[in-house]
Amino acid sequence: MSNERKLDQATLRKMALRHNISLQWSWNYERMQALGFAYSLIPAFEKLYDTNEERVAAVQRHMQFYNTHPSMSAIVFGAATALEESYATDAAESIKIGLMGPLAGIGDTLQSVLMRPIIGVIAAGLAAEGSVFGPILMFIAQFFWFAIRFPLFNWGYKKSIGLIGEMVGEGIINKVTEIATILGLVVIGGFVPSIMARVKTPLAYTKAFEGGEKVIAMQDVLDGILPYMIPLLLVGFSYWLLTSKKFSPLKTLLALIVVAFVGSIVGVL
Amino acid sequence: MGDYGFLTALILGIWAYFSIIGALAGWGTAEALVSGFITGLVVGDVKLGLEIGATLTLMSLGMATYGGATIPDFNTAAIIGTAIGAAAGGANAAELGLGIAIPVALFMTQLDVLGRATTTFFMHGAEQALEKGNLKSLEKWHLMGTIPWGLSRGIPVFLGVLAGQAVIDNVVNAIPAWFMHGMRVTGSVLPALGFALLLSMMNLNKNWPYALIGYALFAYLGVPTLGLAFIGLALAFIITKNRGGVANV
Repeated sequence: MSNERKLDQATLRKMALRHNISLQWSWNYERMQALGFAYSLIPAFEKLYDTNEERVAAVQRHMQFYNTHPSMSAIVFGAATALEESYATDAAESIKIGLMGPLAGIGDTLQSVLMRPIIGVIAAGLAAEGSVFGPILMFIAQFFWFAIRFPLFNWGYKKSIGLIGEMVGEGIINKVTEIATILGLVVIGGFVPSIMARVKTPLAYTKAFEGGEKVIAMQDVLDGILPYMIPLLLVGFSYWLLTSKKFSPLKTLLALIVVAFVGSIVGVL
Repeated sequence: MGDYGFLTALILGIWAYFSIIGALAGWGTAEALVSGFITGLVVGDVKLGLEIGATLTLMSLGMATYGGATIPDFNTAAIIGTAIGAAAGGANAAELGLGIAIPVALFMTQLDVLGRATTTFFMHGAEQALEKGNLKSLEKWHLMGTIPWGLSRGIPVFLGVLAGQAVIDNVVNAIPAWFMHGMRVTGSVLPALGFALLLSMMNLNKNWPYALIGYALFAYLGVPTLGLAFIGLALAFIITKNRGGVANV
């Protein structure tokens, strides 16, 4: 393993630009951000490998499924760049697999669930009064998440350099992953019911009582058994399709659309 | 025929095309507030654009495109709603614009799915380029991946603005009630995919207790998001600290 620096500042800048702007430009259901990630690494491979065959093989290694929060991805991309630079190719691939899930949870939570609603209420209030600062505020708030990608890339790149060749490095990565996983799962556990609360059943039935009848809403019965039962079942069903049935995300999506339509026609949803 | 000429429809269509590509880059261009404002500038009624953008933004809060989930497209809806509302003018402009915008936002979920699925074809193009050893061609395929994304927004806006209110009304009215309801249900069900994808990446089989804690805190105690994040963070540090064998960082 050589510790020689092969990537100059200009190459790193070019890579950061590629990743930070275009990571999601070929987002698709099959591999999501994979192609964008591989595309962004090409300038490094041109410097690190002499033959076209080697470069193609290196790009091929990064064509596996990848999806995370695009701003958090800058950290992963920075670290992967540094690892590729030291020819630690296995580490570069495993850092992606290890970090993408937890970082997606953290990034989506911070941006879409904490920041956007708070800023959105303020911005919508301004706009409703006829102020142009409404849209400007909304734009700046989202743009902030783009701007931080550059320092995050540098941070990931530098941190990773410091970790190479030290066994302690694996400990740190594992620890960060674990913290991110626990935090992410606690938050997602609460999000599933809060974001999908609108999924309810309109079913109701009439029950005879002494002295009359009473209409009982099925949703109240379900809530009594387990709050937000339907959202949990839907997420569980999708999870089962993805993991046990090995469905692709696209197939799982089509299954959900079928469930939604059939449920709505039958009157269950 | 509608109230706008070819040129206005084209300008708004181009904005719709580039706003989603900008959003993919992370620039906040596909926000209902931003697009409502831009459309207001183009059709000469900024106040209406701001109003419609504000209403749609409030409807969209709490919806997030988790793990590539599809949510109603309030951005495209803001463009079409503002244009149609401004054409009608008068006291009911906002009401009319929103009346068009909301079904459009729901209908656009189908086109979002189509756009995300069509891009898969460009992914395969890139793979074939790789097999041929042609990296330049792979780069082109990646950048061209923006085309289905842009067109899935640009074409409906162009056609909608060009056709005008009467035609859109006819289309909306022609959609049967069961289909409209089905689309609404679909819109609220689709986030399940994003969550399931995230959970599968985070090894739920092993780590399910943490998700259960989050669920119980929200469902039974009504803890808001920030509270969940604090509890999760504290829990994460306590658990990782109490396990030996990891170097103190």
